[in-house]
Amino acid sequence: MSNMELLEIKNLNKKYDKKYVLKDVDLKITSGKIIGLLGKNGAGKTTLIKLINDLLTPTSGEIFVKGNNIGVESKKVISYLPERTYLNKQMKVSEVIDYFKDFYENFDDNKAKKLLKDLDLDINQNLSKMSKGMQEKVQLVLVMSRKADLYILDEPLGGVDPATRDYILDTILSNFNENASVIISTHLISDIERILDEVIFIDKGKIVLQSDTDELRTKENASIDEIFRRMFKC
Amino acid sequence: MLKKLLKYDLKYMIRNMSVFYILAIFFAIITRLLSLLDQSVMIGILTKISSGCVIAMIANIIINAMMRSWLRFRDSLYKDEAYLTHTLPVTKNDLYNSKLLQTLIFFFIGFIIVLLTLFIAYYTKDTWHTIKEYIKTITTGFNMSTAFFIIMAIVVIFLELFNAIQCGFLGIILGYRKNNARLGFSVLYGFITYLIAQTLVLGLVFIYGLFDPTVMELFKTATINIDVNAFKVLAVITSVLYLVIIFTMSIICKRILSKGVNIE
Repeated sequence: MSNMELLEIKNLNKKYDKKYVLKDVDLKITSGKIIGLLGKNGAGKTTLIKLINDLLTPTSGEIFVKGNNIGVESKKVISYLPERTYLNKQMKVSEVIDYFKDFYENFDDNKAKKLLKDLDLDINQNLSKMSKGMQEKVQLVLVMSRKADLYILDEPLGGVDPATRDYILDTILSNFNENASVIISTHLISDIERILDEVIFIDKGKIVLQSDTDELRTKENASIDEIFRRMFKC
Repeated sequence: MLKKLLKYDLKYMIRNMSVFYILAIFFAIITRLLSLLDQSVMIGILTKISSGCVIAMIANIIINAMMRSWLRFRDSLYKDEAYLTHTLPVTKNDLYNSKLLQTLIFFFIGFIIVLLTLFIAYYTKDTWHTIKEYIKTITTGFNMSTAFFIIMAIVVIFLELFNAIQCGFLGIILGYRKNNARLGFSVLYGFITYLIAQTLVLGLVFIYGLFDPTVMELFKTATINIDVNAFKVLAVITSVLYLVIIFTMSIICKRILSKGVNIE
């Protein structure tokens, strides 16, 4: 394995009962890129992300992060934003910050506090008293306040208004570690197209395309959004 | 990392259990204060209501500690919170050990609170004397020291509760390996595990009885007219067996957990 590879997936399969939701996935991701993991609903994006984050067990195949199998070492360098709110609602925002500080050596609590202040979020407020949107913003701040090597953001734009989408994208762009890579899973392609260095198209549990964004645009003479629509036309 | 996990698990339990501890002690104080007043009919009724609340709170402390431990285990490892739990840079062993230690600590705290509540509500020289006499009658009958009796009783109760908790944990781990009806399977597997553990203890005591006729008497006679030494041996053997089962079950739980999870 090359030193440049941040994430390497070899022949990964995942099936429930007899149905494969991911089949023969091979993937390599290098450092310093923003990658769009694009696919229709139910294509296997979240399954792939959950496998990388140890939330699912592969049926077969291997995943390496900086040469390590998925485990304690990989979790130290991956900062993951799931598509749901996962924080204990009984906690205050300040307690969640302490929690992240306790467990992640690369968590910058001052940065988190600053970002929360920018978002007008009160760190003394209880999470149970916050709206779902506010809780999602807190989670985004926590994830982006880590100096991770790989950020994995699952549907960070789902369910938010266009103005907030721009804010979220700006937050991601201005806060991730320079040498890190970011994987963003979404089906809202037009919103994120401008920031992507690379795209991965996933369909029916298989990686159908992995390409540099500019090369793909030039080759197809179309935007990523148009290429996606053409490729996955119902 | 185990220390940090335990810190947050204990915080969760304190947040959820402290209200019951406070209520138990509150009703104990009320019961005590009412008992100091002249016993009119109304005061008598109020004392009985307050006393009922004390007993309810004591039962609540024990039952709630068990239920909360199972709930915390399930929520933290298999529900939405699992998205954070399983992405922390900690081993599955630490995750499991933290939950187990949290339960043990809260059983101990609960036990102390129950004793304190009973002491505040009901302690008098007479009741203390009655309890002492009662224990003395038992210990004299079985020719054992009071200390041995109390220690063994506490150890057996603790081990039994601990065993039940861990059966629940194993049930949840096995149930959540299924793709459907996970909660139902968790209850079913927990119940089966508990039955197996109890049958195993009974079976091993029976096997021991094959070599010790005094213990075998337990399986042959309906009356509790057994040899004094057999009772002591039985208490020690049962405790050791429970310890072995608890230890083995904890290894099984950690092995299965370390093979990975499937979070919905």
